[in-house]
Amino acid sequence: MKSISLYVDKGSWLNKMAPESKIIYIITAITVPALLGIRWAGMGFIVLSIILLLSGKVLKKTLPLLGVSGFVLVTVLIIQGLFWAGNITPLFRIGPAVFYKEGLNFALGILVNVINILLSFCVLILTTKPSDMIENFVRKGFSPRFGYVFISVFQIIPQMTETMNTITDAQRSRGMETEGKLWVRIKAFIPLISPVIMSSLINTKERALALEVRGFNSKNKKTFLNEQVKTSADIYIQIALLLGIAAALIWRITVWLG
Amino acid sequence: MARIVIEHLKYKYPGTNKLALDDISFTIEPGEFIGIIGRNESGKSSLCQAIAGLIPNFYKGAYGGKIFIDDMEVKKVGVEELCETVGIVFQNPFNQVTGSKLTVYEEISFGLENMGIPREEMIKHIDDAMELLDISKYRDRYPFDLSGGQMQRMAIASIIAMKPEVILLDEPTSQLDPQGREEVFQAVQKLSKQGITIIMVEHNMEKIAAYSDRIVLLEDGKLIDIDTPQKIFSRDDLDEYGVEAPVYTQICRELGLKDRSSGYYPITLEEAKRILSGDRKGEM
Repeated sequence: MKSISLYVDKGSWLNKMAPESKIIYIITAITVPALLGIRWAGMGFIVLSIILLLSGKVLKKTLPLLGVSGFVLVTVLIIQGLFWAGNITPLFRIGPAVFYKEGLNFALGILVNVINILLSFCVLILTTKPSDMIENFVRKGFSPRFGYVFISVFQIIPQMTETMNTITDAQRSRGMETEGKLWVRIKAFIPLISPVIMSSLINTKERALALEVRGFNSKNKKTFLNEQVKTSADIYIQIALLLGIAAALIWRITVWLG
Repeated sequence: MARIVIEHLKYKYPGTNKLALDDISFTIEPGEFIGIIGRNESGKSSLCQAIAGLIPNFYKGAYGGKIFIDDMEVKKVGVEELCETVGIVFQNPFNQVTGSKLTVYEEISFGLENMGIPREEMIKHIDDAMELLDISKYRDRYPFDLSGGQMQRMAIASIIAMKPEVILLDEPTSQLDPQGREEVFQAVQKLSKQGITIIMVEHNMEKIAAYSDRIVLLEDGKLIDIDTPQKIFSRDDLDEYGVEAPVYTQICRELGLKDRSSGYYPITLEEAKRILSGDRKGEM
């Protein structure tokens, strides 16, 4: 089974938690450091996320994600370290390039924020089945139609990719060049993409019919085959996280007033 | 049980000038197995979609006449309500997979969830349907990974689980290999034995002749005939309608062998064998 979802079922306690709790965790991890305005808070959440990912046995899966964004982050570090407007104190030099303390400090702030956001999202994405998450939303009153759209994307896109590959093979077997220079690839693109679009339009119509006859537009209240994903601890965790946000907010306001 | 009454049904697809269905009237009794035959573009699929309510509720276009399923008039009841009584299975199994479920078991639940069936009942319906179509062993497989025949049986199971009284099958085996086709036919036969009304469009005349109680012959959107397979396939003008009789019928027709009691040509292997051996005995 091909999937564009990053979810892996490790049977860990994070897999069993309600998706809502993890979403509230993301919100907490982003808002609390922002409200407090202390870099240590962000770092604290990074450590917390790493511990969570480790206990969910998915820390390894975050490495490729970090690798991609890491490249961007390194450039941020270099550019800000060299050229940030407020650079005064030189810290070290590599050849002719002088790195300044202020710029690096500023870049470090960005780094902490980005990694924090990235890791807290990883906690959700790597441990939650997309369909479970949407199903929980639908239970809470989210439109089942939009829910369907979000869930089906995870399966229909890999199917379209497969169709694309089949068509590529078919066109190649008729002698079309699909590899090589950029211009060759651009020329190959149109004869490849048009059958894909046409066939997916036809498929969509047929699928719409098939959904229709399976009561997609039924006015009855929807029921669910799977039981809701949640644990008894969920509610306490959610309350604790929300209290955390509230506390940070109150602290911020008192600082302003005081 | 559902009795289907079609009265002077006419339908024209939007943007065309030709009637796709032209003044069709007939009645289907509960539990009947009806085969629909005719050349391409003769209105077979349109008729199926009209009975399922997709015409005129999904497709627009000019619609005349009435279809009743018991006392429900198809035009006035939406597909979402009608689908609890009438189920339809399409040609391409691949496009009937919803794409929102990760296992065969969940896939079959799709319609039931929409209908709002309570969970315990749902599980029972799904298990029954999987048992009936012999796909219980694929329960946890990913729907898109099934073979064509398995996928089509899953599509049929998804409809069966909704417990309809009428099932329409629109060329369900045309994209399947011989083995997949056989699997689907056996499943359909089981359903028929359970008393479900079956309406099936099919190009395999041997099969449709063997299973149908009555056959609907369409040509150019018009109803040419509705009768027992023996009578339909004994017609002399089948060629005009682009229909080829089952091979057994063709052979016996060439040999001039009719069933003495009914006066029609045989339509199945068994009938042909009986008549041929009877004939030989007569000669000896």
